[in-house]
Amino acid sequence: MKKPDIKTQIDGYADIQRENDILRKYALDRTVEKGAVAAAVNRLHPPGLELRVARIISETASTKTLRLVAADGGPLPPFQAGQYINVFVDIGSVRTSRPYSISSPPNQTAYYDITVRRMPDGFVSVYLLDEVATGQVLTSTAPAGNLYHNPLFHGDDLVFIARGSGVTPFMSMLREVTDRGLDRRIHLVYGSRSEDDIIFAAELRERAAHYDQLKVTMVISEPSSEGRDLTGFITAELLAEQVDDLGRKMFYLCGPEVMYKYVQAELARLDVPGRRIRIEVYGPPADVTAQPGWPDSVRAQDRFTVTLPDGAVFTVAAGEPLMNGLERTGRTLNTCCRSGECSLCRTRLTAGRVFHAPGAKLRKSDAISGYIHPCLAYPISDLELML
Amino acid sequence: MTDVDAVVIGAGNGGLTAALGLARAGVQTLLLERHNVPGGCATSFIRGRFEFEVALHQLSGMGTESFPGPLRDMLTRLEIIDRLEFIQMPNLYRLVLPDQLDITLKADRSAAVDSLKARFPAETEAIDRFFDLVYEYCTQWVGVTIFRDPESSPEKYPSFFKYALKPTQTILDDFFKDPLLKATLGIYWSYQGLPPSRLSFGDFAIVLWAYIEFKPFHLKGGSQALSSTLLDAFLQAGGDVRFNCGAREIQVADGQVTGVVTDANDQIATRHVVSNASTLATYVDLIDKAHVPAARLRELGARTVGTSFVNVFLGFDCEPAELEITETTNFVAVTDDLDEVYRKTRALTAPEAMLFTCYDVDDPDFSPPGACQAALVGLAYAEPWLTVPPHDYFDTKYRIAGQMLEVLYRVFPRCRDHIEELEIGTPVTHMRYLGHPGGAAYGFDQYAKDGEYFLDRRSPIKGLFHVGAWAGMGGFQPTLMSGYSTSRAVVRSLQAGKGNG
Repeated sequence: MKKPDIKTQIDGYADIQRENDILRKYALDRTVEKGAVAAAVNRLHPPGLELRVARIISETASTKTLRLVAADGGPLPPFQAGQYINVFVDIGSVRTSRPYSISSPPNQTAYYDITVRRMPDGFVSVYLLDEVATGQVLTSTAPAGNLYHNPLFHGDDLVFIARGSGVTPFMSMLREVTDRGLDRRIHLVYGSRSEDDIIFAAELRERAAHYDQLKVTMVISEPSSEGRDLTGFITAELLAEQVDDLGRKMFYLCGPEVMYKYVQAELARLDVPGRRIRIEVYGPPADVTAQPGWPDSVRAQDRFTVTLPDGAVFTVAAGEPLMNGLERTGRTLNTCCRSGECSLCRTRLTAGRVFHAPGAKLRKSDAISGYIHPCLAYPISDLELML
Repeated sequence: MTDVDAVVIGAGNGGLTAALGLARAGVQTLLLERHNVPGGCATSFIRGRFEFEVALHQLSGMGTESFPGPLRDMLTRLEIIDRLEFIQMPNLYRLVLPDQLDITLKADRSAAVDSLKARFPAETEAIDRFFDLVYEYCTQWVGVTIFRDPESSPEKYPSFFKYALKPTQTILDDFFKDPLLKATLGIYWSYQGLPPSRLSFGDFAIVLWAYIEFKPFHLKGGSQALSSTLLDAFLQAGGDVRFNCGAREIQVADGQVTGVVTDANDQIATRHVVSNASTLATYVDLIDKAHVPAARLRELGARTVGTSFVNVFLGFDCEPAELEITETTNFVAVTDDLDEVYRKTRALTAPEAMLFTCYDVDDPDFSPPGACQAALVGLAYAEPWLTVPPHDYFDTKYRIAGQMLEVLYRVFPRCRDHIEELEIGTPVTHMRYLGHPGGAAYGFDQYAKDGEYFLDRRSPIKGLFHVGAWAGMGGFQPTLMSGYSTSRAVVRSLQAGKGNG
């Protein structure tokens, strides 16, 4: 208002001004709250974790569990069974990361177990299995991810369909439900190549025998001999025979990309509606050039130039995610899921074209403004990025 | 060491319009944002096949092309209006109290008045008088505070001077008998965070009047489209942005801003900082106590941190009609006692009045074909949430959200069987993503005592400017407009500085 005195003529002005004088006289000292917001948030969602390898447990010939405790000895943040941490490692000159589901249950947060299987041509899994020793400190993100039981609409009848190391989030869930005696029924249908490949075989059979609320069906695709388990793949027929009352169930899927495609089609044959199928993210596809929409003219080994605003120029391969290519040049992006959904690596593409693998969850406006998710974006031309 | 003309801290609504206003005026501007995406509250996130709108429910101040409101004017001046597609909503809201009331008010004075009279026939005359007062007050408010009539006086503008600071509840009680009618007219209080007994009539009336006159709007792509468009325009105007990089310190010497230290420990020399962080974070976390005048700290200590929200974001596997959702904006309440609703915002219990917005009703393209999304929102202060031990946090979240859904199902029972995605935001979530004390998206409690008639919003530190809800009113229109008007003030300051040099 132009005239400073005009507002003082509003009815009640003087009373409120007097109140303000008193309130300011007895005001709180806000300076003691310095850092309070971050401290409150960090109890649940710290920006990162320092984890010491406390124990290494051999599970199968190709799989180990790393038991991780807080390097400072304190409790770890809470998580929901099924969530993962993204573990950062320095291998040679490359700093990279991989998300691993926590396989231990959330009933306690003294430690997180991650269960690592050796991947063919693996980089990080090989390092974690062969190089990491007890006592070593790793950094990771706090737990994240969206595959967990939501009591508000998932119901209490759950079917977990896993293959290979995809069983790890379900271990956390079924351990929690049985340990705590939660009112949920779980049927795990777990596909493995051979009997020897089944992770947690003894514990799963033991828990299934002990708890009525847990049923475990093992499905072996390449059985070595006549065994006690079902053989073949997880087909609609197998599910219809093994799982009763299909219409009431919530299905959770975790495994390699090929399993998702196969099992989703089988569930569609059983008329399971999409809202009753929860799928864990699965990272970059094994062969991006085989994905629908990949341009015929680009081969996996083709290399393209990346130019950054600071003038740096280098080349990256078309066949691997841009994030990995950047990491090979010493540029580590902020990331958690490495599967296209957390959007932490969101980066602006100012020139050139990329191919996004399925699962890259871009906001509508990001697609318009030229933002990409480098964890699932593959270069298909020379690029200019704003890092 | 980098030198820039101005640093904007935070890419929320206010930070974005400030940054764009500065860049357009040729001011070399660096925008810092802690998060990886612009918008602050004005953002979205993805679950499954849904991109969920986080914060925008009804955009105010737009008006139509032929009768533009202040926000449309500003977006036109910023030359981004043509890059956005706005959707006008026909209704103010539908309010449902199960078994007691179900009324829908159109965003049109006479139609709204007719609906009210039809439902509350005993009070038809009072309804007319009430709307007369709201309109008279707002017209006079425009004269005094917008046009700044030099001849303003209580004689010339009696309603303004009489009612501006009165509690809204006393006016409602003077006019009306039926508590349901009072609740119907007062329900927009939840857009301001204080119930009618604590909210000044001035602040209340302007919101109701502005939604009727300038209509409620949404926009294609949601609030993220607006944030992303503002950022694109800023970059095109030569601005520089750093994501994943907040400010660690605002440096001050002799009462004048001298620079900013970023989270990455870069030191940036500048004499102008526009802070879109909360004023509490700005003066307590970012500036050394020695440089903050004691009077400003006392003023901050006399104010109370406002409400946050519990949000339940819902993705449904069917269209709104199948859920019998017929309006975009719905309020669902279990009581007509708005003070009781407000009391419960300080307890770990389900809100007793909630907003339920289904975006696809007025914009069928908002969600994927054959699907729709909705947000169920209640006001909640953060304090009780901060007492929850970490290991109880998830259970608490599900318990409160579950209670909210049970109320929703009383009005929209079919929602129960069509949920495909569901995500919950709590006050702690809002603290995490906004960095605000109390996760208070509206800033401080919006008491009249802390309003424009009593507080000087300018900083006592030279070169420091504030934008956003903590420095004015909360909500999209006020925060967007605070940024743009602040950019004008910074430009004037820069020009004055040049003149002196």
